[in-house]
Amino acid sequence: MKKLDYKGYYFIAPFFAIFLTFNLYPVLLTFYYTFTHYEGYGEPQFLGLDNYVRILTDSYFLEAFINTWQIWGLNFALQLGIALFLAALFSDLRINIKGLGFFRAIFYLPNLITISSVAILFNIMLDWHYGSVNQFLLKLGIISEPINWLNQPFTAQASVALILTWMWFGYTFIVLMAGVAGISKEYYEAALIDGANRWQTFIYITLPLLKPIMLYIMITSLIGGLQLFDLPMLLTDGLGSPDGSLNTMVLYLYNQAFRYGNYGYAATIAYMLFLITVIFSGITFKSMYREAKVTKKRGNK
Amino acid sequence: MKKVLSMFLLILLVGVIAGCSDDSSTSDNGNNTDNNTNTEENNEEKDYSGEVLKVWSFTDELEDPITTFEERNGSTVELTIVPIADYPTKLRPALESGVGAPDVFTGEIAFLKEWTDRGYWENLSADPYNVDEWEDDYVPYVFDLGKDSEGNVRALSWQTTPGGIFYRRSIAEEVLGTDDPAEVGEMMSSWDKMFETGDKLKEAGYRLFPDEGAIRWFSKSEDPQPWVNEDNELVMTEAKLNYFDHAKTLREKDYTAFAPEWSPSWFAAMDGPVAYNGGWDEVDSEASKDNQTEVFSYALPTWGLHSVLKPNVEETNGDWAVTSGPAPYFWGGTWVGIYSGSENKDLAWEFVKMMTHDEEFLTDWALETGDVLSYLPVTDEIKGDFSEPFLDGQNNYEFFLEESKKIEPGIVTKYDQQIDTLLGSKVIDYVDGKVTKEEALEEFYKAVKNAYPEIKTP
Repeated sequence: MKKLDYKGYYFIAPFFAIFLTFNLYPVLLTFYYTFTHYEGYGEPQFLGLDNYVRILTDSYFLEAFINTWQIWGLNFALQLGIALFLAALFSDLRINIKGLGFFRAIFYLPNLITISSVAILFNIMLDWHYGSVNQFLLKLGIISEPINWLNQPFTAQASVALILTWMWFGYTFIVLMAGVAGISKEYYEAALIDGANRWQTFIYITLPLLKPIMLYIMITSLIGGLQLFDLPMLLTDGLGSPDGSLNTMVLYLYNQAFRYGNYGYAATIAYMLFLITVIFSGITFKSMYREAKVTKKRGNK
Repeated sequence: MKKVLSMFLLILLVGVIAGCSDDSSTSDNGNNTDNNTNTEENNEEKDYSGEVLKVWSFTDELEDPITTFEERNGSTVELTIVPIADYPTKLRPALESGVGAPDVFTGEIAFLKEWTDRGYWENLSADPYNVDEWEDDYVPYVFDLGKDSEGNVRALSWQTTPGGIFYRRSIAEEVLGTDDPAEVGEMMSSWDKMFETGDKLKEAGYRLFPDEGAIRWFSKSEDPQPWVNEDNELVMTEAKLNYFDHAKTLREKDYTAFAPEWSPSWFAAMDGPVAYNGGWDEVDSEASKDNQTEVFSYALPTWGLHSVLKPNVEETNGDWAVTSGPAPYFWGGTWVGIYSGSENKDLAWEFVKMMTHDEEFLTDWALETGDVLSYLPVTDEIKGDFSEPFLDGQNNYEFFLEESKKIEPGIVTKYDQQIDTLLGSKVIDYVDGKVTKEEALEEFYKAVKNAYPEIKTP
């Protein structure tokens, strides 16, 4: 009888075989490489903690860290702001906008375009002389001479942030609307009867009840944002110009590994990135969770 | 029951693992019978019918030669094209492990020097290839680039890719008084003369170059020295230091059109006036006309004519000519060699030989594509016959061959591509006025050190 118990293991064996070979083994091997100088072939040269010492004093990595945060922060603020505004608009009983499904699809569309196509599209639109963005602003008289968007650190970062916002606000909106749909209509009806205005309804009903959803959005966006790579890579020279302002952490990792062949150091960057992601996800989770608790207490009183 | 199950799972696992490692053993044998007849015609060729040759490259330019090759000896060639951006990354694991590796693969100049020393390519200086005997048949710098650090030839190239300055004849005629390539070349033959020409063009409302990066090749080859010497020291020549100043001069004197290489405006400037308001008919007012300008010349190599200028030019077709700049240079190039772990070296060698040392094939190839060959016995034969309508009948072939012979061999290192890119971006920072020359240099050294910790920087 007891023998039969082993049968189940055979069924889960393929998963573990694949997991061990393709997930765990590379992760551990990468960890080993963080202690070495490895050029992608031959024998890795053992360095001890040199790579870690280097990364902690590496001004390029620090720059990449700050850049990543700046781009992600601007993008996230805009993205969440727009999505929240739209969610409030579409959930408002007084306005009662028709065609939610249609708008949802429209808002989500930019997300379906391959990132490389987006990069080419915006590269043309943001071109200094010929770009339609500059032409448009010039014709409207908002600017008197064309702006070289991708040649100044601030405008370059803002461009990337705005493109990301454009791509992702639809997704955030859909997730938020799912959250809004989960809020009982009775709260809103009660608020309406009590004479709460739109702002109050939004601040005291929608927002607190959306907190778990927003936490989810924040953490997924943070993890995605810290891995920001493709747009900065494709929009300018792939080295992070102008002035290194588009040098993100993953772009730096990519360049160290595949451009310069420093696989050992790139592995170290990857582990630092992992550490940073864990720390900030933890902070986000903690702070959001605590605030949620406080609100709940207040509600009970 | 249990045994059956475990057998089943074992087979499944083996299948999964085998599936990962093997991707091409299923190639067809159906072609044997069809192709047998072809080989009869050519007695010199050995019969390879039924054999499969795997070729990897990063462009589709090998497609036609492969068809010729298949027709000649009845073999089947599987060409895998990997986009250039992924090429080294995709190839490396295959070449390192030998699993799924090609028999023949091409290499671009950007990673050529790294690969020649990795032993990926078969040593062609050894038996039975003995290509050292062919050395005199090739453009010196091209043959030299295929050698590893011990002087053994690892890869050969059928082409040579020297550069020149492509300029607009009508503008030259108007401003410089002549459109003759030799005379215009004389006006561009030194930095001072070039700036003088730039000044004349500026006064007539034209711009010498689209952007400041156009002069990088001349700065690089003015004083030909490798970027990194035997002691792993970065060699910063006076010419490279002057690159900063020359680029700044171009910008300050307004000799360029603010159209960075490969940008939409860079392409647009080939075919007519560019302006801040260019391309938008409605805003074609008097004011915007003042902002308009035309670009006089582009620094481009052989392939620039066919792959850059021709596809992007309509209006100015036939209005171009090519001449030399302050220093001879080359840009790009494709080399081909045999994978050292190949089990099909005979056939692979046949292919490499056809691509690089077959007069009949190379003559056809050159006449058809206009590609400038590095194999001199053929080029000597055909160079007189070229007349390029795009260049108003100029013989660009002869021009480029002469240029290619002036190029100093042996100065390319595996670091070149990346260090050039780093230098270029720092020069632009300086030209844009974001940093001083000293700061730009310092940042350049720092970036090199960061990319290659083993290099000693000044």
